[in-house]
Amino acid sequence: MIEVEGLSKAYGSTLAIKDVTFAVEPGEILGFLGPNGAGKTTTMRILTGYLPATAGTARVAGKDVHAESMAVRQRIGYLPETPPLYPEMTVESFLHFVARIKGVSAGDRTAKVTSAIVRCNLEEKRKVMIRKLSKGFRQRVGIAQAIVHNPPVIVLDEPTVGLDPKQIIDVRNLIKSLAGEHTIILSTHILPEVSMTCDRITIINQGEIIATDSPEHLVERLTGKGGYWVEVAGDTDNALAVLRSVPGVLQVEMRAADGLADGHSRFQVTTEADDVGSAIAAQVVEQGLGLFELSRHRASLEDVFINLTMQETARETGETVPAAAPAAVPETAPAAEQTEPADPTDTTKEELL
Amino acid sequence: MKTFIGNLLAIYRRELQSYFNSPFAYVIAVVFWLISGLFLIVLLLSPQGIIAQVSASDQLGLGQTYDVPYEFLKLYLGLLGSLSMFVLPMLSMGLYAEERKQGTLELLATSPLTNWVVALGKLLGVVTFYSAMLVPLMGLELIAFSASDPAFPLSLFLLGHGGLLLLGASTLALGMFISSLSDSTVLAAVMTFGVVLLLWVVDAIATALPGPFGQSIGHLSLLTHFTDFTEGIFDTSGLILFLSYIVLGLYLTAQSIDTLRFQRS
Repeated sequence: MIEVEGLSKAYGSTLAIKDVTFAVEPGEILGFLGPNGAGKTTTMRILTGYLPATAGTARVAGKDVHAESMAVRQRIGYLPETPPLYPEMTVESFLHFVARIKGVSAGDRTAKVTSAIVRCNLEEKRKVMIRKLSKGFRQRVGIAQAIVHNPPVIVLDEPTVGLDPKQIIDVRNLIKSLAGEHTIILSTHILPEVSMTCDRITIINQGEIIATDSPEHLVERLTGKGGYWVEVAGDTDNALAVLRSVPGVLQVEMRAADGLADGHSRFQVTTEADDVGSAIAAQVVEQGLGLFELSRHRASLEDVFINLTMQETARETGETVPAAAPAAVPETAPAAEQTEPADPTDTTKEELL
Repeated sequence: MKTFIGNLLAIYRRELQSYFNSPFAYVIAVVFWLISGLFLIVLLLSPQGIIAQVSASDQLGLGQTYDVPYEFLKLYLGLLGSLSMFVLPMLSMGLYAEERKQGTLELLATSPLTNWVVALGKLLGVVTFYSAMLVPLMGLELIAFSASDPAFPLSLFLLGHGGLLLLGASTLALGMFISSLSDSTVLAAVMTFGVVLLLWVVDAIATALPGPFGQSIGHLSLLTHFTDFTEGIFDTSGLILFLSYIVLGLYLTAQSIDTLRFQRS
């Protein structure tokens, strides 16, 4: 449905994106993930025909975004970073206006506007001036204007930014309900968002695509090995030796001990396989060390993201980065809204959330 | 062609709607009406007014004859023209600057619309609003003219106001272009005012310049051509000049939006 090949965009002498290539299948939700300034918005603006590309081609529904710009614009719904709304219009009249300029025929307009209003849960605000709406409702009107002409392709630039958690969930559900019928590209720098809503993820950093895959595959790809967090009481050197002696353990590293009781220490254990936990427990107990915590560490999307973007940056600056994710946190499952107090060293991740 | 008209109407109606729903536009209209109403009364009825002066000269028996309605129309339109020079930049300043600020330009630019349609629709919208501001004043003038004997020719009245409307449309078209250059409405208003002022008095500058260069610059003056209209002289060169300003404004706007998309960072 969307094919992007070798797309580059230069602003003056700086390259905002370089050689971006990806494709989106019909009915799929693609998450466009990257830190701020990575080139997400630029890519989306090229796709929607707002900006011309410096090099490369992009096709939406088989039409070139530059050569057949008008045809593409008709087939695309776009929510920019700030929802484009006229504050002095009512929700309904605004949607009528958008339907009209998107080329919806007069007979269809009322039905399509009503259906967009219903889908975005805006019935009660139908006759309200947009300037009187709260941020959450404005965002919904923004989504409504992107879907009002029922376009095959929807491009959403940071659709949940600045919303409260309840609204975020509403918007995510709305986006998920649009999949299937519509092909969606969604950009974000919020990680749980992509893992929850998207079928596939494209990670972009400094204008270059570094990975495109399903969330599960990305995690797998990065962490072939298993890992555990272990908190024990007793002599640190002894504990290190004990942990290292467990068969199947590849590497043991001591981690920040802040907030731990006296005499306790915390280790990150990297193992060959994913099932060494019982052996570790048995060994620790056998050697008379107190076992306080043993949890399996699964790399989350955060780890993948940070790792990939760090590697990329490092490759450019010529530094090396430790293979293990610097922001690894014990986790039972990739939680949606991670509210647990994070590791004190984990500031990068805090910012990302 | 059908979609062109449809799109044009959509932009036009939205633009108009935004004027009629915005308190700011009402404030401008009210101030405009207040001042121009005051002009009307002062010009007609005050002790220094045109009627008082004519009757005074009659009493003195100077023997001069005045065409009072004609003199009044000329003076009044001149005043309205000067007043419009202040008011029009405030009407045009938001045309694109506001769209840029709100981010709605991105909606328009990613919709199947050409820049021309958007610019033309917007210009028609704001010109309609300006005309709506003139209508009550025309009513007042007609009431005054109804007392005239012999009856005042309607053609002169229409020609004069047509000139005012053309002057307004040219100013608004240039103002629209300036508005498309930045996302600050205040900046747009100030710059438009500067440009209009310059075009208003360019004939004064031109007389100071010798030779054909000065002459040709003088033709660009808005004031000279507008004065022709108010005096009841229909000159096609004036009409062409005003239309050229309008087309130029539209063209520059469409180009500037295009350039904006190329440069946008």
